[in-house]
Amino acid sequence: MTNTSYAIGAVTKTVNKPANGKKKALTVIWYVCGALFSLLFILPVIYMLAVSTKSQLAADRARGIAMFFPDFMNLNTFFSNYSKVFTAYGIWRNALNSFMYAAVAIVCNILVNGLAGYAISKLNFPGKKFFTFIILFLIIVPVETSIIPMYMVVTELLGLQDRATVLGVILPSCISIFNIFLFIQFFQGIPGGYEEAARIDGASRLKIFFSIILPLSKPIVATVAVFCFIGVWNDYLWPMMLLTPYPNMMPIQAVLQTIQNIEGVTTGEIMASLVVTSIPIFVIYVVAQKYIVQGFGSAGLKM
Amino acid sequence: MLIGALSVFIAMAAAFGTVAAVDVVKAKKYKERYRIRECGTAYLMLLPAVALAFIFIVLPIVYSLGYAFTDFHMYYPNDIKFIGLDNFKELFREIGVKGELYHAIINTAIFVVCVVPLQIGLALVLALFTNRKKKGVKIFKVCFFTPVVISLTVTSFLWVQILAPNASGLLNSFLSVFGAEPIDFLAQEKTAMLWIVLMSAWQGCGYQMLIFSSGLTNIRDDLYEAASLDGAGSWQKFLHITLPGLRSTLLYITITVFVGACRVMIQPMLMTDYKLHTVTLSYYMYQLGYGSKLVGLSSAVALMMTVVIGIITLLQRKFLKED
Repeated sequence: MTNTSYAIGAVTKTVNKPANGKKKALTVIWYVCGALFSLLFILPVIYMLAVSTKSQLAADRARGIAMFFPDFMNLNTFFSNYSKVFTAYGIWRNALNSFMYAAVAIVCNILVNGLAGYAISKLNFPGKKFFTFIILFLIIVPVETSIIPMYMVVTELLGLQDRATVLGVILPSCISIFNIFLFIQFFQGIPGGYEEAARIDGASRLKIFFSIILPLSKPIVATVAVFCFIGVWNDYLWPMMLLTPYPNMMPIQAVLQTIQNIEGVTTGEIMASLVVTSIPIFVIYVVAQKYIVQGFGSAGLKM
Repeated sequence: MLIGALSVFIAMAAAFGTVAAVDVVKAKKYKERYRIRECGTAYLMLLPAVALAFIFIVLPIVYSLGYAFTDFHMYYPNDIKFIGLDNFKELFREIGVKGELYHAIINTAIFVVCVVPLQIGLALVLALFTNRKKKGVKIFKVCFFTPVVISLTVTSFLWVQILAPNASGLLNSFLSVFGAEPIDFLAQEKTAMLWIVLMSAWQGCGYQMLIFSSGLTNIRDDLYEAASLDGAGSWQKFLHITLPGLRSTLLYITITVFVGACRVMIQPMLMTDYKLHTVTLSYYMYQLGYGSKLVGLSSAVALMMTVVIGIITLLQRKFLKED
């Protein structure tokens, strides 16, 4: 009921306005420009989706507008590229790896950085300034860490080999100075009253963190989790360097390169693997839109 | 390596110790007291973060600094010698004879100079374009943002297929309608870098568009209304209200896009492999260290990059932060 009345109100409002020819023309131009811009951004993606459903022959033959549509003559082979990517190339194993690495990284990231943020923002201890200084320094100064010394640290100093190499892939994504900074910012906004009440009841600091602070910080925890997932899922170079000798442990992004180099791989199969890789991130963006926008808001804090 | 790590650890611990000691002395002076248990919990809570940050953030930075002055080779980690500035001399010699490093610097410069204005300009145009309350704005925004969602790896491979010199390549098959012979775009020495620029701007600008959009919503509407009353045109409004209102957003975006552009590596790596006409500084550094195993020389490149990027970032900060 309210909806319809609102709609009617909106209509009368526009009708009441004097029709303005110039304004209307501008609106039309705006929509045309928007459509053209959108096509510019979306067409390559549509092309990827279309080719992923075609055989090599159909992909080669398609001309003009047909490049952006599946091959209507041969719809029975619509998913054949996907089934080949999953069965013959075993991409599901790498997708599973990526999911597992992301899950571990998210939990560790929240615990490690959250605890550090809590200690720095709420507890009083000597040497606090040292940590706040280092955090600000590492955030502001663009250090070209160079991935090579990091590789030396993992292989030589820690000596991670065989199955343990996975640790070298996961552990670096568990620590994020920027996330500590985010947690500090957020925790400082939580009134101290909650904690004092709990302390009078005799709760330990750790218990307060888990039963009061974390539940109160759902938005920031969700934001950190979402960005951590996207980071781990999209990471390419680092796992590639470490896991080249162990293809079974590779995450999905790293295996894309392997698929490209398989003898006799078709364009459609490559595109199918790209689509499979993109789907989880796409889903995350749709589901967690709210938290991602929040993350953008906090990105501005950095300056 | 272990000795290096230990000495770095001792140095950090000493720095922390002095700060902590100063704090304790100060507290005594003002008759405040630290509760021992609270301090203990705090240190325990910080421990995992400090350990991980030390191993994966601090140590690589320090090693990178140290290796730059040695002849460290990945296969002979124990045969390490301090060679002073020889690495830098070698790098400058390489620039002098127009070797790979020379090309890497030129290509990175082309990339940065083209992609920073292009990406920021495009993002600003898109943000202004979608900054109105009309039906369909959201659909447009989703379209502009789609390339951000698919990762850099995926977009690189996708564009390899778009630019491919075979029948299924998007661009060549469009051109073949006009009777053109297929062109291997990424093999063209003069223009390959520009395709990488286009692709990167296309992929990234949706992200900056969203940040600009949230910056635009923070500008108060009454400013525009007042300007309209004073008879200001839309260009004047943009120049005197929108741009100043976006100053801090612009600073943030300029610095992040610039630093990101200086580090460009995945795109040339996946799209063309190691070729003289597309190699960038980061890729050159990676190839030296991981491909040729010359960690010392590679660290020298990293050090030079850090210094140059740091200086330019500082200048940008100063330039854009005035007023």
